Amino acid sequence: MIIERIELVDYRNYASASFVLTGGITAVLGRNGQGKTNLAEALAYLATLTSFRGAPPDALVRVGADNGVIRATIREDDGREVLIEAELSRVGRNRVQINRQKLGRTRDLLGVMRVSVFAPDDLIIVKGGPAERRRFLDDALVALKTSYDAMRLELDRIVRQRNSLLKQAGGRMSEEIGITLDVWDARLADVGEQLGYARATLVARCQPMVSEAYEQLAGEAVPVELVYEPEWRRIGLAKALGESRQLDIRRGVSTVGPQRDELTISLNGLPARSHASQGEQRTLALAMRLATHRLVAERTGSTPVLVLDDVLSELDPERATALLANLPLGQVVITSASPLPAAAHPERIIRIRSGTILDDRTSDGQP
Amino acid sequence: MASVYTPPVQTLIDELGRLPGIGPKSAQRIAFHLLKVPADDANRLALAISEAKDKVRFCERCFNVSDAELCGFCSDDRRDSSVICVVEEARDIVSIERTGEFRGRYHVLLGSMSPLEGIGPEQLKIRELLSRLGPEGVEEVIVCTNPNTEGEVTAMYLARALKPLGLTVTRIASGLPVGGDLEYADELTLGRALEGRRPID
Repeated sequence: MIIERIELVDYRNYASASFVLTGGITAVLGRNGQGKTNLAEALAYLATLTSFRGAPPDALVRVGADNGVIRATIREDDGREVLIEAELSRVGRNRVQINRQKLGRTRDLLGVMRVSVFAPDDLIIVKGGPAERRRFLDDALVALKTSYDAMRLELDRIVRQRNSLLKQAGGRMSEEIGITLDVWDARLADVGEQLGYARATLVARCQPMVSEAYEQLAGEAVPVELVYEPEWRRIGLAKALGESRQLDIRRGVSTVGPQRDELTISLNGLPARSHASQGEQRTLALAMRLATHRLVAERTGSTPVLVLDDVLSELDPERATALLANLPLGQVVITSASPLPAAAHPERIIRIRSGTILDDRTSDGQP
Repeated sequence: MASVYTPPVQTLIDELGRLPGIGPKSAQRIAFHLLKVPADDANRLALAISEAKDKVRFCERCFNVSDAELCGFCSDDRRDSSVICVVEEARDIVSIERTGEFRGRYHVLLGSMSPLEGIGPEQLKIRELLSRLGPEGVEEVIVCTNPNTEGEVTAMYLARALKPLGLTVTRIASGLPVGGDLEYADELTLGRALEGRRPID
């Protein structure tokens, strides 16, 4: 699948703009604050229905407008053309249409378009707290199989309900609270085990791919290790919840389960979060993104559209060149504030300024 | 935000806005519609609301809405009292009745377990359900709570409370809409349908 055209109407700083993309590499150049990341965000929004910057939907609508639209024309591998439209509303509900047919549930759009975004903020996968790494794993799961989205929402709902029950207990255990907790625990154990198993399987598959990607980017083989071994998975979540019940009651919060898991990343045998240099952390984060991008391409049989949002300027020239040399075949959109490295070879170069397209031509200068 | 409307109008908008499914914009639209229509029309609505509130109450046995002590289903002797269908809301009874497949009695829980909304087993009509089992000679309880997080947990709670009493406890199946295509089923529903498959006779 490739995206042939993306049109933004009243989206972020775009009043109206239409980008024609090539099946190979399209470069989008412009200074900081002109709308490069907004474009990347819009592309990813159609794939995930969320902003990778964590912005609420109403923040995506251009200031002064009530509704924004992201419209993409995609070409499937079998030649079919599909029109995808997402309408974002500041006040009402967001709507999604495929080929002008309104979807009953917006979440049915998941899986229609696959987009991987590499952004400077990816550094937090390595450097940030455990929640960032859980999100990295769960996002990858949803990209692999959309039903994980429902599983993740369900788990979140169960944990919030259970925490609310624990808070109401006020630190005291009663028979009634115990019986009610039993059923919430059973439900949490059921969904939690499934998510835990999915995460563990994903990590096992990713591990060699991350090592390989790291070596390609860094130009040297360094042992990279990903460890996802929550204590509860050894004894089973049902049993672990039983053992932690007194503690949970005392603290008024669920202390065990997938919502507290950690994925430990180590480089050269040392935890990368605390011991790796900034450059190593950046390379590692990129290697993890590249690994999941490749995994999704391999498992789903269709390569996601890759968006490199201002990533190249964060890397030293050798690593930037190494990244470009190791990009999987497929459609790529590269945004940058500075000229691209010689190795990039974009087929099309689009220059933007404050939400408008200044110039759009093929690499040999043809408009 | 300070109100721009005169107090009676703002009060009307606020009250309408508390209704389920009515947001601030809809509340405003309905309020202005009511102000525009003839007084008779508006009064008829007001009367309908207060009459319903006065005359309609919950059935003492099953908590369905009723205008008498017992609702139509509970006072109908032709219905099979050995089977009880447990639902979350009275409106769910209407859906099940439309199928014409069920001839037993009902029990309305008046909600589902949701700690976030302060609803535990105590707030639901579960104790009342348990007290019906012996006197009415109930042999099977069909749990028809919604197939969402709260409904599933409520179903599990009921199963745990009822099974030790030696009753048959069943859960309504989840699956594909009749007349639909497999291709259009979402993967969760289809997954459940596969899980609940049965041999063909």
